[in-house]
Amino acid sequence: MQQTLKAIVEEAKNAVSELAMRADFEAYKARLMGPKGSFTQIRKQIGRVPKEDRPAFGKSLNEVKTQLETLLAVALGKIERAEIASRLGPALDPTLPSPEAEPGSLHPLTQVREELCEIFRQIGFVVAEGPEVETEFFCFDALNTPADHPARDLQDTYYLPEDLRFSNIPQYREERYLLRSHTSTVQIRAMLDQPPPLRIISPGRCFRRDTPDATHSANFHQIEGLYVDKNVTVKDLKATLDYCFKSLLGKKAHTRFRPHFFPYTEPSFEVDFHSGHLAKVGTEWTEIMGCGMVDPSVFEAVGYDPEVWSGYAFGMGIERIAMILYGVDDIRYFYQNDLRFLHQFD
Amino acid sequence: MKVSLQWLRRHIDLNSSSKEIEEALTLIGFEVEGVEETGLPTLNKVIVGEVLSSEPHPNADRLSVCEVLINQEDESRKIVCGASNYSVGDRIPVALSGAVLPGNFKIKKSKLRGVESDGMMCSARELQLGEDHEGLLILQDRPAVGTPINEVFPYRDTVFDIEVTPNRPDCLSHIGVARELAARFGLAVEYPQIKVNPQAFSTGELPPLLNKVEVDATENCPHYRAYCIRGVKIGPSPMWMQQLLKAAGLRPINNVVDATNFVLLELGQPLHAFDASKIRGGKLIIRPAGQGEEIVTLDDRKRTLTSSMTVIADAERALVIAGIMGSIDAEVDENTTDIVLEAAYFKPSNIRWTSRRLGLVSDSSYRFARGVDAKGSEYSALRAIDTILEVAGGELSGPPFMVGEPPLMEREIEIGPRFIRDKLGFDVEESQISDVFTALGFDVNLRERTGGSRYWSVGIPSYRLDLERPIDLVEEFLRIYGTDKIPTARVSTPGLVQKDDAVDVFKRKASAYLCGRHFNECVSYSMRSTEEIGQWYSHAAASSLRLANPLASDQSHLRPSLFPGLLDSLRLNLNRGNAPRRLFEIGNVWREWDGRIWELYSVAFLMLKESTGGQWIERQPPDFFHVAGVVRNLLRLAGDDSGDVPFAPIDHEDSWQEGQAGAIGDFKTGWQGKAGMMNLFLLKQWDIEGTVLGGVVYLLPSFLRNSSKRKTYRPISQYPPIIKDLALVVEENLMADDVRRELENVAVEAAGGAFGVESVGVFDVYRGKGLPEGKKSLAFSLVFRSMERTLTDAEVNLAFETIQKAIAASGYAVRE
Repeated sequence: MQQTLKAIVEEAKNAVSELAMRADFEAYKARLMGPKGSFTQIRKQIGRVPKEDRPAFGKSLNEVKTQLETLLAVALGKIERAEIASRLGPALDPTLPSPEAEPGSLHPLTQVREELCEIFRQIGFVVAEGPEVETEFFCFDALNTPADHPARDLQDTYYLPEDLRFSNIPQYREERYLLRSHTSTVQIRAMLDQPPPLRIISPGRCFRRDTPDATHSANFHQIEGLYVDKNVTVKDLKATLDYCFKSLLGKKAHTRFRPHFFPYTEPSFEVDFHSGHLAKVGTEWTEIMGCGMVDPSVFEAVGYDPEVWSGYAFGMGIERIAMILYGVDDIRYFYQNDLRFLHQFD
Repeated sequence: MKVSLQWLRRHIDLNSSSKEIEEALTLIGFEVEGVEETGLPTLNKVIVGEVLSSEPHPNADRLSVCEVLINQEDESRKIVCGASNYSVGDRIPVALSGAVLPGNFKIKKSKLRGVESDGMMCSARELQLGEDHEGLLILQDRPAVGTPINEVFPYRDTVFDIEVTPNRPDCLSHIGVARELAARFGLAVEYPQIKVNPQAFSTGELPPLLNKVEVDATENCPHYRAYCIRGVKIGPSPMWMQQLLKAAGLRPINNVVDATNFVLLELGQPLHAFDASKIRGGKLIIRPAGQGEEIVTLDDRKRTLTSSMTVIADAERALVIAGIMGSIDAEVDENTTDIVLEAAYFKPSNIRWTSRRLGLVSDSSYRFARGVDAKGSEYSALRAIDTILEVAGGELSGPPFMVGEPPLMEREIEIGPRFIRDKLGFDVEESQISDVFTALGFDVNLRERTGGSRYWSVGIPSYRLDLERPIDLVEEFLRIYGTDKIPTARVSTPGLVQKDDAVDVFKRKASAYLCGRHFNECVSYSMRSTEEIGQWYSHAAASSLRLANPLASDQSHLRPSLFPGLLDSLRLNLNRGNAPRRLFEIGNVWREWDGRIWELYSVAFLMLKESTGGQWIERQPPDFFHVAGVVRNLLRLAGDDSGDVPFAPIDHEDSWQEGQAGAIGDFKTGWQGKAGMMNLFLLKQWDIEGTVLGGVVYLLPSFLRNSSKRKTYRPISQYPPIIKDLALVVEENLMADDVRRELENVAVEAAGGAFGVESVGVFDVYRGKGLPEGKKSLAFSLVFRSMERTLTDAEVNLAFETIQKAIAASGYAVRE
């Protein structure tokens, strides 16, 4: 009996190594373990074994059963792996490029806009948006710009025909529509819309009637900030902008406030910076933004009490910042959308 | 404005380096756009020579051959010369062989028409000493032969080109800039002393030059002065004056004109000198111009005036456009002997308007338009008389004429130290503040309010038109005190807890989504050409979106769509071999509806159907349903929760290929989406070969801002569904969703409220074998489910049979 068991195991060892197909495997498994299989036949003979030998025989049967099952499992595993291998075909070449890996990309102007927004979100500013078609009130009157200020000239600002009306851009009175020349218009709308305190940045597209060249574009983008609260000081303005430029240009950036003139701020400054580590900027002072303390007349125009509220405002060109940060020397490249250019900022 | 250092030094004792001055000007608010060194540069081997002899050149009519003495040791050189303005014995500058003249002009021994020439005799222009190139620079003072030319012309200057902001017309003069630097450096300002006594005029026997001055335009000319001077001798102005004028960018003309220009640049007051003999009728009238009146200005252009402009006229004709430019009819010329000098105050807004209307800006109009010191006209006039008498001779003749009074410009501002500290946010000492104000020439008086608080009453000089309110003085203090002394601080901002605008939030979501779908973001111009809009949209759209004052014909209209810009980018990339595949842009567009324009927020994208090559593996090309899916996802990001509303076919819209595009929504109610194939014919005209699929959403910003609705939970069934499939054979031109909706209605009715028809959806569309021509089979999946129990096959089968009968009864063939 033990001999027979040993023989079955030996035979099975040889047989399973020959099994290559699943059908052969199933047939052999039936021949061995099926109702009429050789091992099943032996197992049935346990009744004929003397009672005292039965425990030992039972133990042998179990051992053999385990051995056989293991042999079959190994054989089945081999077959399954072979099946998978034949289904997959030859090994792939992972060095080939994936057509899906071709990256989508955000335009560099969007990236700079987002970086600036993020810098100001950190200190509690929120993004405000407004229309690109605006009116003289929001673009000039409310910003303390005199009626015959050159910026209002047909030479410098794009206007829309006098009789044209816009459904979803409210006028203040019956004033004329134009293309906004700065995003300060958003500040006026925000202040008319909500009471102080206020802390907004308004990124967006602006228009000036400039002949296009390497540094001028008929449309361009700005980001402007407005902070209104009680007791806001020049020192606060400087602290905010220092933080902004350190974040944007690195700790080695040096800035200076140069007194300047804007109708809507008093005092007004232009900010210059230099930073040795930025390409194409070097150690010369480069103008980067305009800023100042909100002129009391602007507060009056929007119904804020200038005796109670004070604030600062600043604005910069997104193209200009992008040109400085990336070393781009022609503003028109931003509007060509050559993929070799766009992918450099992925 | 060009500011000469030599000129500044006439008024302040300025010993700082030009670098220090440049920085000081910049930091007090006058950005320096350029610094130029003028005068004779250091020139080696250029010396004083004397012409010993001059013989005609043997081979050239216009040349002569000179022997030129070049040092005290009787050394001489033979030099060929083309000039003829010299005589033997004249002393002239000589550039010896080896000298390098301005413009890197190297002098060496060379043959000129066969005669050896060793060196060059120089004109004024060759030495950068003037414009004169007609002849040699004759050294009238006869400096010693051999003297280096730099010792003869030691004059050097540094010219700062500064930006004067529109609020500071007082600094459009050297005295104004000198005042600023004096305040910064702590210097005293020296004003020119007046020598002439305007009441000490001669009367003589001759009739007066002028009998009368009338002002018929008091609104635009509140104040007018005229002085008469007899016996001037017109000629070139002295070298010192020419040098200063040239440094400031003016061309010397003659001594009288130069004198008025000199005072203009010195004190900022525009003046005008008339040739008295050209004034007809013995009087000057300041009056509105006649409508259509013509005048030929000094720049030799005929100008047609309107009655809103002001002129200075004689009895017969206009002689000057007031404050802007004179006519050639009263010009001072070489024959002038008697002059009338004008000093006036014109209303800035009228000068601005006239100047802009005529497109004529002069040094005079530029200053009047921004505002001159109204009180300064008398002082400036006397200064000009002093200068004219000095450089052109003559004497005051007859009494001055004066009409009107200069407007009062002095004012007082009350301000306390606390106000300044509160605005600055840091501490400064009281004395620092009052010192700055005093240095700026303000009249500072310390006062005390009842209760003891101290403040200053600050008297503002008439030339400082920009200072009206206490806040203006804060800037004045900080400017001079130094912005570099603003302390650094940490940002401290109390939280306001507001949200970003929904438009911005959507932009970020949409661009992140499209980036994730392998799209590249583009940015293109908002202004487009009329041809483009007419082609892609309609000529009606083109006419309603026109700007009032476009600059260029290719940027004359607001864009109604982002597609042309994207197609430009696609074409550029195709032409450059960049294998573009997917592009998108987010931005504002404008659409006309019912006579009004809407500004819409738009996202548009496009993808090329054909592979642009360079791919080793072919992917399934995109189709309408790809782009429609992207559009739907974008709408979902925008807050559209209308769910399963299907696209409708777009019939005839120029941008889209007929029968290959669909639309959903209506922008006037908040949002709209379109997707499909771009018009292939237009693409060809755009030089794009191939098939472009596009998608776009249009959003009202107000929709984005109002769409953040909180969702409400709907219960879901806990029981399994039973699904039945049904295929219908329908006409090819029927829309699947129309059939689906009908089937859904039938199904809901058949279920009779006993249980729910959860959904009816298309899962297959079949055409071809087994179906007649012109028909298609639509296969639907009907999902039945109850909220309360597990449905039995029997009840669903019963309902399904009813559905089949009912749908067949409405004319649909059920496919077996």
